Amino acid sequence: MSYIIASDLNQALQILRDSKGQARVIAGATDLFLQTLPAELVDLAGLYETTQLEETGGLLSIGSAVTHASAARSLLIRSQAAALAEACAMIGSPQVRNIGTIGGNVANAAPAADAAVALVALGAKAVITDIAGQTRVEAVEELYAGYNRSTIDSSSEIIGRLLFKSCAAGEGSAFMRFAPRRALALPLVNAAARVRVSGRRIEAVRLVAAPVKPAPTRLFETEALLQEVIPGPEIWPKVEEAAAAEVEVRGSMLRCSEQYRRHLVGTLAGRVLKEAYQRACAAEGGET
Amino acid sequence: MKKQTINFELNGELVEVHTEPSGSLLHLLRGQLGLLGTKEGCGEGECGACTVLLDSQPVNACLIPAAKIEGKQVQTIESLSNGDTIHPLQESFVEKGAVQCGFCTPGMVMSAYALLKVNQDPTPVEVKEAISGNLCRCSGYKQIEEAVLDAAEKIDQGSRED
Ligand code: FES
Ligand code: FES
Repeated sequence: MSYIIASDLNQALQILRDSKGQARVIAGATDLFLQTLPAELVDLAGLYETTQLEETGGLLSIGSAVTHASAARSLLIRSQAAALAEACAMIGSPQVRNIGTIGGNVANAAPAADAAVALVALGAKAVITDIAGQTRVEAVEELYAGYNRSTIDSSSEIIGRLLFKSCAAGEGSAFMRFAPRRALALPLVNAAARVRVSGRRIEAVRLVAAPVKPAPTRLFETEALLQEVIPGPEIWPKVEEAAAAEVEVRGSMLRCSEQYRRHLVGTLAGRVLKEAYQRACAAEGGET
Repeated sequence: MKKQTINFELNGELVEVHTEPSGSLLHLLRGQLGLLGTKEGCGEGECGACTVLLDSQPVNACLIPAAKIEGKQVQTIESLSNGDTIHPLQESFVEKGAVQCGFCTPGMVMSAYALLKVNQDPTPVEVKEAISGNLCRCSGYKQIEEAVLDAAEKIDQGSRED
């Protein structure tokens, strides 16, 4: 029966090993704390390894315990991964953002977790180490076992960091959400996009919306509409229509109807794509 | 969970408590340490009434497991006044009519205090952003915003006179 603040990743893994499945890792625990906490906890929030934010060779590495507040403030993330900075700035409230972590946002596996949606659009992969010492690298969207259920076993595995290519020249990303209020509200729909252009022509595009499925969901058909296209004003209404038609969404008594959610997916998809596209064009000259 | 000993800095003084590690910081402050200035509204991170500073950052004390504060600095509303004089923020809240029932006030003041620590000359938008995690059932927020801006001015004048 204990709560241990780990001093490094190895020690955290050792505690998990010793506890034989009893102990679980936590970071910010802003969601978990409201449920019944497991009896043995290993807190990863303050580790050096999990709170680093760096770029090497065009690859951004974000420690899993980087808080939403520090990600939203980081000049590196704002310039190289705008979608993630925008998503992190909208989560919960300032108080929650000072505690909640990016890795927690992924491992908590909520279907429309803002940071996770942005990470999937950016193409992020999680670096996960288990108690046997094995490390695997998996796409964030592959880490969902069902609604609010992660494939990550927090009694034997730890997300160390999240990795993705930073937005270089000719690339842009954006995130948007629609919620009943601007703070302290869960989104009815959120969406994020990453676009790469060459001479204003779209060369690569990733569009993600949620909540559509348990995991943040790529909208492949809508992406295909923009592939190898120099978008003119006529394309955006088509994009909205395609995105709204592509998704299978659910309505809920408490939040909004299925039709409304579908409409929101279309509208937000159009807006994030346009924004990401414009940013990509603005960054074409090499300035980001 | 069995009790654990936790050492931390509370309002500038080192304290050692023996407490349930997975109890909330809010209950530790109010229940065990008798600091009743920090309020419990929702108890689940939605209202900000329990806002305290953890290593200078505003957080919801109701969402923090007590054991998390080991070795850290916690600052509560009690630290803002010495019993004789009150903080300019508290003064401005009174003068501008930013306190009605007062239940949200300690949390509001702590969020504003955290803002003024890093930004002595905030814009109205920055003030709104800083208190966006604090709900007020009574005021309509306008007077609170005015009070924070007014306090920022007072503090600025005070530092120029020094
Ligand atoms: S009591 Fe902590 S946020 Fe409401
Ligand atoms: S003054 Fe009553 S809740 Fe704010």
